[in-house]
Amino acid sequence: MKNFTYKSPASLKDASQLLGDDWSQSIALAGGTDLLNLMKNEVETPTRVVNLKQIKELNKIEYNSGYGLKLGALATIAEIAAHPVIKAKYRVLHEAAREIASPQLGNMGTLGGNLCQRPRCWYYRNEFPCLRKGGDICYAIDGKNKFHCIIGGGPCFIVHPSDMAVALMALDANVTIFDGEKNHTVPISEFYLLPEQDMYRETVLKPGEIVTHIYVPDVGSGEKSGYFKFKERGIWDFAVVSVAVMLRKKGKTIREARVTLGGIAPKPWLEPHVSENLINLVPDEDNVSAICDQSLRNAFDLGQNGYKILLAKNLMKRMILKLAS
Amino acid sequence: MCARFIKSKHFFEEGMVESLAEVSEANGKVWDEDAELDVVGKGVSRIDGYDKVSGTAKYTFDIKLPNMAHAKILRCPHPHARIKRIDTSKALNLKGVLAIHSHQNTPTIPWFWNMSQLYDAHLRYQGDEVATVVAETERIASEAIKLIEVDYEVLPFVLDPSEAMKDDAPKLYEQGNILRGKPDIYERGDIEKGMAEADMIVEDKFSTQVEVHHPTEVHCSVVNWDGDRLTVYDSTQGIFAVRDTVASSLKIPTSHVRVIKKYMGGGFGSKLDTGKYTVIAALLAREIGRPVRIAMDRKEMNQSVGNRPDSFQHLKIGAKKDGTLTALSHYSIGSSGAYPSGAGCSWPMRSVYQCDNVKTTDFSVLINAGQGRAFRAPGHVQGTFGMESIIDMMAEKIGMDPLEFRLINYAEQDQVSRQPYTSKKLREAYEQGAKAIGWWDRRQKVPGGMPGPLKRGIGMATQIWWGGGGPPAYATMKLNRDGSLDVLAGTQDLGTGTYTFIAQVAAEVLEIPMDQISVIIGDTATCPYCASSGGSTTAPSVAPAVKDAGEQMKEKLLSAAAAIMETSLTNMTYWGGKISLISDPSTSMDISAIMQKMNERILVTTGRRSANPDGYAINTFGAQFAEVEVDIQTGKIHVLRIVAAHDIGRVLNQQMLENQFHGGIIQGLGFALLEERVMDPYTGTLLTMNMCDYKMPTMMDTPQIDVIIVSKSDPLISDVGAKGIGEPAMIPTAAAIANAVYNAIGVRMKSLPITPNKVLDALNA
Repeated sequence: MKNFTYKSPASLKDASQLLGDDWSQSIALAGGTDLLNLMKNEVETPTRVVNLKQIKELNKIEYNSGYGLKLGALATIAEIAAHPVIKAKYRVLHEAAREIASPQLGNMGTLGGNLCQRPRCWYYRNEFPCLRKGGDICYAIDGKNKFHCIIGGGPCFIVHPSDMAVALMALDANVTIFDGEKNHTVPISEFYLLPEQDMYRETVLKPGEIVTHIYVPDVGSGEKSGYFKFKERGIWDFAVVSVAVMLRKKGKTIREARVTLGGIAPKPWLEPHVSENLINLVPDEDNVSAICDQSLRNAFDLGQNGYKILLAKNLMKRMILKLAS
Repeated sequence: MCARFIKSKHFFEEGMVESLAEVSEANGKVWDEDAELDVVGKGVSRIDGYDKVSGTAKYTFDIKLPNMAHAKILRCPHPHARIKRIDTSKALNLKGVLAIHSHQNTPTIPWFWNMSQLYDAHLRYQGDEVATVVAETERIASEAIKLIEVDYEVLPFVLDPSEAMKDDAPKLYEQGNILRGKPDIYERGDIEKGMAEADMIVEDKFSTQVEVHHPTEVHCSVVNWDGDRLTVYDSTQGIFAVRDTVASSLKIPTSHVRVIKKYMGGGFGSKLDTGKYTVIAALLAREIGRPVRIAMDRKEMNQSVGNRPDSFQHLKIGAKKDGTLTALSHYSIGSSGAYPSGAGCSWPMRSVYQCDNVKTTDFSVLINAGQGRAFRAPGHVQGTFGMESIIDMMAEKIGMDPLEFRLINYAEQDQVSRQPYTSKKLREAYEQGAKAIGWWDRRQKVPGGMPGPLKRGIGMATQIWWGGGGPPAYATMKLNRDGSLDVLAGTQDLGTGTYTFIAQVAAEVLEIPMDQISVIIGDTATCPYCASSGGSTTAPSVAPAVKDAGEQMKEKLLSAAAAIMETSLTNMTYWGGKISLISDPSTSMDISAIMQKMNERILVTTGRRSANPDGYAINTFGAQFAEVEVDIQTGKIHVLRIVAAHDIGRVLNQQMLENQFHGGIIQGLGFALLEERVMDPYTGTLLTMNMCDYKMPTMMDTPQIDVIIVSKSDPLISDVGAKGIGEPAMIPTAAAIANAVYNAIGVRMKSLPITPNKVLDALNA
């Protein structure tokens, strides 16, 4: 780890100013569960670390009926997992929070940090001068790519590791960003970028910008949601593939559906084909299977990650049918 | 008195050791199958339990000495290179840096059986030691190693052992990459004839991955010179081995080196060898005149302190229609890493089943990666997976139950030495294990036959290992005036419970409470010699020495009491920690009463491990049965239950025994399903650098585990009758899981670890 100065501002404005306008100089610290590893491995080598945890009002979880859920970016993963309203109404979010890392990491990790964590790729995280770090090649293409993305990749093939992002996308959440002067809000589906849009960053955040809140619309009647994270190990593992599904049914017919996937793309992945085709469907095993089988048409196998295509389809089917029944 | 020695043999890891055993003077009672013991065998709580759970236990990692400095090693960033020039001037200028060593300013100290040196300018893997900085803090040392400028001549490298065997492969050594220049071949009978006699032949290929030990406590040493005497605190499995290596490396008398290890957070074989880092730290400490601490980080743990070599096995076996095996052929290639380490895995094939025609060929190949080291049953874990898979395949081909097939080929005597076993209760293990798992009625009659996406299956595998221990092992008892007792033995507790069983054995023999006993181990200066802790030999070697010391102490006390009562020794009896005249129990005196009447403040005896019996093979045996559930839509394997039924002679402590089984089985499960060292093929760089990418099992992966012990004692080995259990616990787990997976899905998985992607690919091939 390189030496750095440590600042602990009390206001968002001060924090934004301290973060400045250069990614490589200044970096935000929330739970630190990702940042400290990146700094130890010198993937990130900031000269200044700006602790956000002294900023008040950013750790609240508020719910208003008819309005929805307002989550402070500093709310911890453990707090979200334990929140009774989230547990009752936003199953997908509750289940995603419960699946993150280990209890210890959940106690430290924050929602904002989870959404803004850097990608998983063992070339990016180790000492390879890869594309994402300003180098010339993506080592994953010819290397060990069992965990890399099957869709949305190129020329870099990272996966975005956030479980919360996948769940929040299924809930159509919005992200509020403070730019140093004022707040603005973007839908979470527009918050993330593909490598072809930006090789070096995974989100639309600009230097000095800070995620402050996440707004989740209120859940209507007949709405059901769930999250399934497939991982190799029983706990403390990133998703090989994860799936978040939100369904609103009227009678036996699906009226609204959002199906999102994690672990398969450089960003939380919305499969519009699946979501659209589920609408007005009276779901059964055959028609749901047919829809899922038709999905991920642009997915491709780098050599060792082709199994994720089948896995993603199977997990989508399973979760949709579970919620539809 | 002049001691009398006799020869004794035993296996340590995969090699036969011949040693001299001192014959004991004491005639203690043999703890045979019918012996009724009060303390030994019971689930007595660990005597170090409080220290460990309260956090007061000091591990080597925790040792802090006044004025201690910290060392950090600069490791080679290339898989194969030669140092052209090292410039340490910038690093030396960093504030807080005390000294820097490399091959340029240190004596040439031979390492790896003279094939390399402590600091070698020829670097053979990414992680090889280039230079070491010692500084005021570990952080400064870490900063400083980045300031060392090294010009490397980058050399071509090879990672794949099959590639490395070829003539045109980059060479790690002038003499070529095949260890010792040839394979290790074992042959009995006529393999061609055996194959010709077979009605059925099965031939297939199996592979296993490189597995990393990852003890919880990292490899570390703290060294301190006092004049020309050196004290080494080391996290090691062999204090006397470390002492010898450190002394010879530094060219100082062995008597000038003291090695201490009190508590240890695991080793699994990776701490059997003396680490370069220990000698590196000693050299730096001598130069700066201060104590030096050196501790590996997790990256170094992944890279540079040993692993279980991979294996690529080509197996072929023949059997008659009635199930009789006629021929067993094993051919394997395994990676030693950059420095010599045996990578063979054919011992199970040589020794588990009755078969007259056997040929095994094992190539150990040097490649540009971290060196292999003994890892909990070296060779056996890999070999058992391949062998027990193909045995199941043959049973299916013949149309026979796999367990029945194994019983037909049950070896009644050791197949390699043709000697009888001291004891073998594998048949009982098969029977009781099968009963516990429900083998006869709960197994899938048709593999993969369960309807639906979640498919269950049951499989089993057999285990053989040595683990009888042997001499030399000594234990010294010091009996105090108040009747309390110190027991000293130069062994080490890896975390497995050595402290506790020593106290149990002493308490059993002298019939005194355990809380009156202090156990002192892990110190070369105060303890009599015991061997390194490996090969599952610690308990079966040390426990009899402790018992012998106790028996001698009893005789001393009887003799003392007879002198005090002015009567003959033959009139005295020892019972319940008290001594009296046989004829008059009212004369009973406890130990402290006898001690008070004597001038000696302390009575001392030294016991020794007896010789192993001539003409016998000594082995542990067992069978593990696994039940799994495989999700065929995701490829995920859930291990639901493992039943472990084993013959391990006498149980010393039921609770610790079960703990050790749990550890071995969980480690075996990790090997079967999760753990794998992954290297980038194009750069020779390790990708699994942390505990997130190198996936060890967690509690969430742990199944129900049931331990059944089918043995009571093996008195032919020693008066205690115990065999070792560390390695047997892990040997058959992966093979049993793989066979259960086949029973569940009807597709055979031939490559470990059986990760979900492999299952999905196999099911959809």
